[in-house]
Amino acid sequence: MEKKKDILLKVIKASYRYSDAEEGEYALKDVSFDFELGKIYAIKGRSGSGKTTLLSLISGLERATDGEIIFDGKNLKDMNLDKYRSQEIGIVFQSYNLLPYMTASENIILSMDINGDKSKNKEEKAIKLMEKVGLKESYASRKVLRLSGGEQQRVAIARSLSYNPKMIIADEPTGNLDKQTEKEIIEIFKKLAHEENKCVIIVTHSDNVSKLVDKVYDLDKVK
Amino acid sequence: MYILKNAWISIKRNKGRNILIGIIIFIIAMASTITLAIKNTASDLIDSYMNAYNKEVTIGFNREDMMKDFNMGDVGGRDEIKEKFNNIATYSISDIESFADSKYVFSYYYTYSVGMNGSNIEKAEIEDDRGFGGRGEKFNNMENQSDFTLMGYSSLDAMSEFINGTYTMEDISDNAWNIAFDGNYVFINSELASYNNLKLNDKITLTSTDNQTFEYQIIGIFKQNEDDNQGMSMFSGSANTIITNSDNISKIVNDNVKGNLSPTFIINSYSDVSRLQDEFYEKGLDKNYILETNEEMATAAVSSVKNVNSFSTTFLVLTLIIGGVVLFVINMINIRERKYEIGVLRTIGVSKFKLTMQFVFELIIVALVALLIGAGIGGVTSKSISNSLLASEIENSNNQNEEINKNFGGHGPGENKLTMKGRGVPTVQAYSKINAVVDIVVIVELLGIGLLLVIVSSIASLISIQRFSPLTILKERS
Repeated sequence: MEKKKDILLKVIKASYRYSDAEEGEYALKDVSFDFELGKIYAIKGRSGSGKTTLLSLISGLERATDGEIIFDGKNLKDMNLDKYRSQEIGIVFQSYNLLPYMTASENIILSMDINGDKSKNKEEKAIKLMEKVGLKESYASRKVLRLSGGEQQRVAIARSLSYNPKMIIADEPTGNLDKQTEKEIIEIFKKLAHEENKCVIIVTHSDNVSKLVDKVYDLDKVK
Repeated sequence: MYILKNAWISIKRNKGRNILIGIIIFIIAMASTITLAIKNTASDLIDSYMNAYNKEVTIGFNREDMMKDFNMGDVGGRDEIKEKFNNIATYSISDIESFADSKYVFSYYYTYSVGMNGSNIEKAEIEDDRGFGGRGEKFNNMENQSDFTLMGYSSLDAMSEFINGTYTMEDISDNAWNIAFDGNYVFINSELASYNNLKLNDKITLTSTDNQTFEYQIIGIFKQNEDDNQGMSMFSGSANTIITNSDNISKIVNDNVKGNLSPTFIINSYSDVSRLQDEFYEKGLDKNYILETNEEMATAAVSSVKNVNSFSTTFLVLTLIIGGVVLFVINMINIRERKYEIGVLRTIGVSKFKLTMQFVFELIIVALVALLIGAGIGGVTSKSISNSLLASEIENSNNQNEEINKNFGGHGPGENKLTMKGRGVPTVQAYSKINAVVDIVVIVELLGIGLLLVIVSSIASLISIQRFSPLTILKERS
């Protein structure tokens, strides 16, 4: 008997068109995907295929113009998207998107604060998260601009884990990194999916990354 | 709470930007403190002066109303006017006392004059061959038929010529001001004294128009200041004016001898004048009289301070407008520079409201520090600036009492006010310096200004944050 699927996110016939788009012109049209807990996914596609648009819809940065996106049984249309982003999901970007005037640990603690974490040992928690993604304690007090690209991306992943979300969404997380670091970063994501039962979605155009994930959704084929 | 923490971290880590904003707010705060301090001090000075300045009401003819029905070109019309003037009911000292018994009247005094002839003195008068000699004396003599005008004052307040410096006491008995209002004592003009070879303590005898004789002792000799002298006469206008107290005039005036009574009422506020006039009419004042005030003169006296006051207001408004615009522009640039930061914070779930609050808090913290420093330095500077701007007013207020005292012969109201039992002249508050201090009023006004600037310049961030799409910002960055 087949094991019952533990679907965390359902994208049902989601479409998106820009407000200034011409009639019938869509950035994304009728896309339907399911994402389960405990698995790592890659969303592939050429430039302009709608990868980033799909990411912005499932991360709540934009609302779908048509179709529905259901997260953990709740329709994103009915949710406060600021809360959704700060409490339910973690987002990792290609360009890391850390605050440059803060240290590594301050960036992570800020994310805890936004989530409403009231615990007193946030610094300690931040250091543990950094160690989890392969950063030493001494990196905690460094300004992020003094870290390498790989190190900054690890801080960004640690930040996305700061409130233990069920889903991690990453937009080209290895796009600026060398092959070795790329492999290490993907390993971190795999661990998060397989060992911590998180749903990890990676938007990528890299075949290397696609080979390392559990399932690939190709937007070129959808279109 | 993390919004405040985040704002604080942002301020600490972006010193250059915040120091620039701080410097601008500091300059605005300093300029505002100085102008507010000067403005408030000038207002205090005006209030103080206006309070000390007697708000006087006198009774005058309602000429405009009386003349409106008469044709001046017509001889019959002129007679009619004359008759009307002669028929206007006069008022007595008891009427004046009744008028003064009003909640609007603070105090009152009056002058009472009558024409007298000399028995043992001669009128100061020289006829010349040119045909206009002596004109001055005749015109200035209240009663053309009499040699002298005996002018009675009810109190020191009434002696306005000494207060405003028209007359100055040249020689005076030591206890003159203690006895001047209680007996047959007089002050005479120095020219009359020279003309008749009179000196202090000499006695003069005057005869009324009904041939009663009165003897007076000279307790002071005054002179009329040259600046105030009018006409082409050898003698000043007051050469034949003899000053005494009003009680002495009351003894002379009777049914056959008419006196000229001129009251002055000191009121609490100029706004009460019309109600006071109605009250006077109810108490029997003829409706051909109206009440006149010295408001115009009082206002003119503080015009220079008012100029300083309005200059301060204009300067303050300009500072705020220019400062507000500069801050707004800097904030706009600032927000553009921080677009990426806005994108990141929005992406990780900070709401637009909280983000706006963080930017406003940052500005408030910087503004508060700059306002405090600006207020401190402005407070210290404002003293010397306002003192120099209002220097002439300080000097005037300082010298005024001294001058009045000097006019009264050095034994004036300043020394004897208390012993004169309410017959003194109110003193003007003297300023050794203007206390242009940064008091609670200035601090509150400054905080209001700071808040206004923060709100105005925050509008830039408010609008920008609402418009920015995090995805667009982050795409641009990528």
